[in-house]
Amino acid sequence: MTAVAPKRPAEPAGEVGRVDLQPTIDPRAVRVSVTAAGRRDDDPTLTLAPTPLAVLRPVERVAGVGPLGGTAAPRPREPANASAAMPRPATGEGSDGGSGILLDGEPLEARLRLQDRERAILSEGTPGSAGSTRIRLQFGPVRRRDGEGIVTREVVVEGWRVEVDVEAERRASLRERARRGHEAGARTGPVEVHAIIPGRIVAVSVKAGDTLEAGQQILVLEAMKMQNELRAPREGTVERVAVAVGENVEVGDLLLVIT
Amino acid sequence: MSAPFQRVLIANRGEIAVRLIRACHELGMEAVAVYSDPDIHARHVREADFAVRIGPAPATESYLRADAIVEAAVAAGCQAVHPGYGFLAERASFAAAVEAAGMAFVGPDHAAIAALGDKLAARRAATAAGVPVVPGTLEPAPIDRPDQAGAILAAARTVGFPLLVKAAAGGGGRGMRRVASADELPAALVSGSREAASAFGDGAVYIEREVLPARHIEVQLLGDSTGRVVALGERDCSIQRRHQKLIEEAPAPGLTEVQRRDLHAMAVRVATAAGLHNAATAEFLYDLEGQFWFLEVNTRLQVEHGVTELVAGIDIVIEQFWLAAGRPLSDRALAAAAAASRPTSAAIEVRLSAEDPSRQFAPAPGQVTRWSMPAGPGVRVDTAIEPGERIAPDYDPLIAKLMVHATDRAAAIERLRRALDETEIGGIQTTLPFDRFVVRHPAFLGGELTTGFVGDHWDGAAERAVAVRRALVAAGLAAIGAEQTGIGGPAGLDSGGQGLPGRDGAETAGRGGTDGDPAGRDGHRRASAWRTGGLALTADRWPA
Repeated sequence: MTAVAPKRPAEPAGEVGRVDLQPTIDPRAVRVSVTAAGRRDDDPTLTLAPTPLAVLRPVERVAGVGPLGGTAAPRPREPANASAAMPRPATGEGSDGGSGILLDGEPLEARLRLQDRERAILSEGTPGSAGSTRIRLQFGPVRRRDGEGIVTREVVVEGWRVEVDVEAERRASLRERARRGHEAGARTGPVEVHAIIPGRIVAVSVKAGDTLEAGQQILVLEAMKMQNELRAPREGTVERVAVAVGENVEVGDLLLVIT
Repeated sequence: MSAPFQRVLIANRGEIAVRLIRACHELGMEAVAVYSDPDIHARHVREADFAVRIGPAPATESYLRADAIVEAAVAAGCQAVHPGYGFLAERASFAAAVEAAGMAFVGPDHAAIAALGDKLAARRAATAAGVPVVPGTLEPAPIDRPDQAGAILAAARTVGFPLLVKAAAGGGGRGMRRVASADELPAALVSGSREAASAFGDGAVYIEREVLPARHIEVQLLGDSTGRVVALGERDCSIQRRHQKLIEEAPAPGLTEVQRRDLHAMAVRVATAAGLHNAATAEFLYDLEGQFWFLEVNTRLQVEHGVTELVAGIDIVIEQFWLAAGRPLSDRALAAAAAASRPTSAAIEVRLSAEDPSRQFAPAPGQVTRWSMPAGPGVRVDTAIEPGERIAPDYDPLIAKLMVHATDRAAAIERLRRALDETEIGGIQTTLPFDRFVVRHPAFLGGELTTGFVGDHWDGAAERAVAVRRALVAAGLAAIGAEQTGIGGPAGLDSGGQGLPGRDGAETAGRGGTDGDPAGRDGHRRASAWRTGGLALTADRWPA
């Protein structure tokens, strides 16, 4: 296992040092959210960042995402050069209990130990103390890089499958500002109803021109032998029905447009 | 000992087809699979000795095509057809067609299917046999007769609300609707009938009182051509959603030996009166007063037959084949039946389904990217799924049955908890989080099972919310970690995706084979920079 260290290529000098110069505005903070396709109304968006302390002390900061419950004393600050990124002896992180992570600006005691390429253990709280948790989880492969700097990957936590978007915090806030401007006044436009599960259309209860009430059944989609009644998300008029009885639809397919 | 048949057609797909093929091979018989177009590479097709295409994806054009399946069986030179569960398993006309073509139908004969498989006929038969039935109607609701609407309503008022609309041909909750008040009744009858027609090709529905709270307890039956019927034991299948079972166990916890014996005797009485051959299951509700109410008989192998096999020490499918070949009940079956009221071990099954337990168990088909099933002592997994498999929306969402067997119920629960911890599924949402919840729930541990368990105890949205937060934190930590070690720079974020093959290669070589997946699969290379970053972190705990 120790063979890994020599195989690791030298890092470009100054990578860590650059962070040291900007302890309060960390360019490497990330924003994480459930990916748009699976997001629910009450799903949070979280921002994770190394603490300023961690930025100044690479070892502790790394430990925040490193091994569990080390007992060695905090290591002195290492020089901000290539050696800081090299593997270090098994000292674990500091015993100060600090994880070196800020979650939405609050210190978070959490560690991620990667067991292999796909499995990890997430620990929260001081290991061994009351309320601390240790959760096994699995990472799926990165599924998308859409050119906007958003990375999507699956995380399975105790059987729950969550697709997570990860984005640099600074980029996310820029994008958000742009979107907010765009959205102003766009409340009354048409609503497109898309399929959220794949299946077969077995009944269409409305036609173009019909007036809809919110919650009114619009069509029935059969998936895995279960009939799923789809209802209008808001009141309005049916502008167009994009599917017909007997058609198969995939996730995301347009079903109808309400104006 | 020669085999019961030389060649058998398996008229099903998925895990049950694979399980039936295994029994065929253990008996030295050849198995002929049938498949629809999307199933051409399915596990059951590969495991079989021969395979016949029967149509396109929709079940009505493939697995429900009795004519095509009988034709395939004849053409393939089969002496028997095993229908499994679902699809044509309880279609009397299919059994009759198989028999008319000179083959054995592995299950009750068509007359018994008609007498018992029609739930209304079964209710009448049970009443005649002196077995109490759940209050409700004994004839189909005349939903196509507007002039009869008043009569249906009057019957419903007599039964009392809330009540259930049920499909006469039903099973697995298809066509079933819960009706809280009279004004909901017409719509429920129509939509239930439509779903029943789609699922079974028969839209007949009736109404029945909703007995709540209650446990769902059923009795596994075997019968031979001499008219002898025995009970192999009972199962508790109370934990359900939408009247579809999620968790089943044998024996039913908390019953006395006398209760067991009485229950088994009632089941045998109904089945004997209907002339049952082969395997069937009599279902009962058990109310808080300790009263059993007959629900229906399923004239087929049940999904959950495995827990009875584990406790009774018998292979029900193999018994089915021998019975279908005309043998009397085996000594093994008789011995198991004699011991059925004094079980000496416990088995539990969870059904892993492609469903989202945070959205009322809505179907969640998709592609399975990770699939690692538990193993070890006392663990049995029946599945046809493999990594990369696409779960088609055309068929049942059941993708695996995880069973455990131990000396008693408490040990079985511990074993199940361990097995669920080992289970890894990616790419699709399954009912795994619900199963994990149940095996830790005090009511389940205490044997307090009712059909209201899901509604009483399960808050899927809240459970998911905890997991979502953890997933976000974990993904965020992984992303920051990838950057901070400097491996791949901002690998998780900005490097444009093709990241650093040289470094990745070095890491892979260094870790030597910890990656269990074949190299080069789509997604692995693109993910490599991120993962490499993660691996660098683990170096911190290695000896210098």
